[in-house]
Amino acid sequence: MVFTSLNFAVFLLLVFILYWWVFKKNAKTQNTLLLLASIVFYCMADWKFIFLLAASGFINFYLAKIIAKKEEGKIRSLFFYSGIILNVGLLLYFKYFNFFIQSFVTLFNYSGAGISFTPFHILLPLGISFFTFQMIGYLIDVNNDEIEPTEDLLSFFTYLAYFPKILSGPIERVQKFIPQIHKKREFDYGIAVDGLREILWGLFKKMVIADNCAEYTNEIFNNYTVYSGSTLALGVVFFAFQIYGDFSGYSDIACGISKLFNIRIVNNFAFPFFSTNISDYWKKWHISLTSWMMDYIFTPLSFILRKYKKAGLIISTILTFLLVGLWHGANWTFIVFGFLHGLYFIPLILKGSLKKNKIVAKGRLIPSFKEFFGMLALFILTSLTTVFFRAENIIGAIAYISGIASKSLFSIPYVIEESSGVKIIPKTLLIFIFLFLFVEWFGRKEEYAIAKLGGKWRRPLRWIIYYTIMFAIIFSLLWYGGEKQQFIYFQF
Amino acid sequence: MEKVEILEKVRQILITVLKHEKFEMRDDLTASDVDGWDSLTHMEIITEIETEFNIKFRLKELNKLKNMATLIELIQSKL
Repeated sequence: MVFTSLNFAVFLLLVFILYWWVFKKNAKTQNTLLLLASIVFYCMADWKFIFLLAASGFINFYLAKIIAKKEEGKIRSLFFYSGIILNVGLLLYFKYFNFFIQSFVTLFNYSGAGISFTPFHILLPLGISFFTFQMIGYLIDVNNDEIEPTEDLLSFFTYLAYFPKILSGPIERVQKFIPQIHKKREFDYGIAVDGLREILWGLFKKMVIADNCAEYTNEIFNNYTVYSGSTLALGVVFFAFQIYGDFSGYSDIACGISKLFNIRIVNNFAFPFFSTNISDYWKKWHISLTSWMMDYIFTPLSFILRKYKKAGLIISTILTFLLVGLWHGANWTFIVFGFLHGLYFIPLILKGSLKKNKIVAKGRLIPSFKEFFGMLALFILTSLTTVFFRAENIIGAIAYISGIASKSLFSIPYVIEESSGVKIIPKTLLIFIFLFLFVEWFGRKEEYAIAKLGGKWRRPLRWIIYYTIMFAIIFSLLWYGGEKQQFIYFQF
Repeated sequence: MEKVEILEKVRQILITVLKHEKFEMRDDLTASDVDGWDSLTHMEIITEIETEFNIKFRLKELNKLKNMATLIELIQSKL
């Protein structure tokens, strides 16, 4: 069930009613319902792997308890590393097995070995990149004595399988989630309304911005050899907005749904396009992944390499971002994507510390020239890496970027409409993106752009805003044929 | 070594690494309170502290640090 489908809306309504009116007795009954709903949700998405999810849950739950009971030493380390190997092994097998074997075969064949390899047909369990990372983080935190293992199996499985986050994150931490569900949740009208508002905004980002950008992105990227440099550049811009609208839209919907149950999950995005340096960008883009990588990869690496000072930091950063890239997919394009982002950190590391720059142009309506050009430069740099994210292979990505850097970069961009063969300039979509950026800019201090929009206005005026957004969603569905695009991060 | 002496040495290290003195050495001081004390400078600060006091931290110990008070306590425990 996709979040943007009618089926899911019916499912959510049913769970909401049951949660607050039937299963409301105590935390245990509420969690039982959430777990059952999550199992149904996962089975409807991919029933084949529900047993894998269950097995992962049981093994990690009991391993954590064993690790916590043992004194520091060889036995504890044995259980801990067994758990890590198991979780990483799951990911390696389901997601990367064919990729690694194929890569080795290609490498050997460069020396004339002449080996052939038929990839295995391995199905990818939905959400595996997210739930294995949660389990790995959990075991590490228990092993480091940072948290006590959860004693309550129901709470643990509710956390693991929680349907708003199981398929595409956020990568939630046990210590933030489980304490919330140990207590009975009381219905809070304000939080529920806030949740609905955030869902509305997430739907707008996904269905109006992301899905419509996807129409043009697919056309341009699939036929990049026929388009001018300016159109290819536009394709990069559209893809940047597509992926932002898609993933942050999903995250907003997930957060909003959670609020309906009076549960908070981490906000995965904080207006990354309004960053002026790469470090700030990654503190605002896919926040749960970045903080996971920081805590469990970068910090240990930089600690081990600390005697090498800045060189150690550079190596740690690049290795971390190589892993960030690889996490996204089993393709060299994702590795290059991560590598480029790691490289972007080098000037910052050599320069020294960063200025804290949480909200650009804080307290001001308009950014300064320096801030504006900083944001623009960063947008260009990060958008160019998305070419590797989107391309099928590295050669295609390089060819695409070379196509941008041509004389036709200064021509008027157009897209050829598939059905009619007519050249069109996507003006409507550009207007939508501009308005979207406008709203995001003015809401950048908030948890999500429209969190406080019209908060001080009278209700009828506020509702005009909401109806306008709903109209945009419906208009987009009708005008653009309602072709739904799957959420991009479902593939991870 | 007295706590006051440790505090002063740590303060000097912070000034050297972060290149400013815009912070107050108080028990509840955390990295997020200090301009420039981030993931990039954190390890540099830790390394300087290890060199200054001739001690070695373990990663587990660093992960448990909450604020300046816990950092000073950890340094004292290793002297």
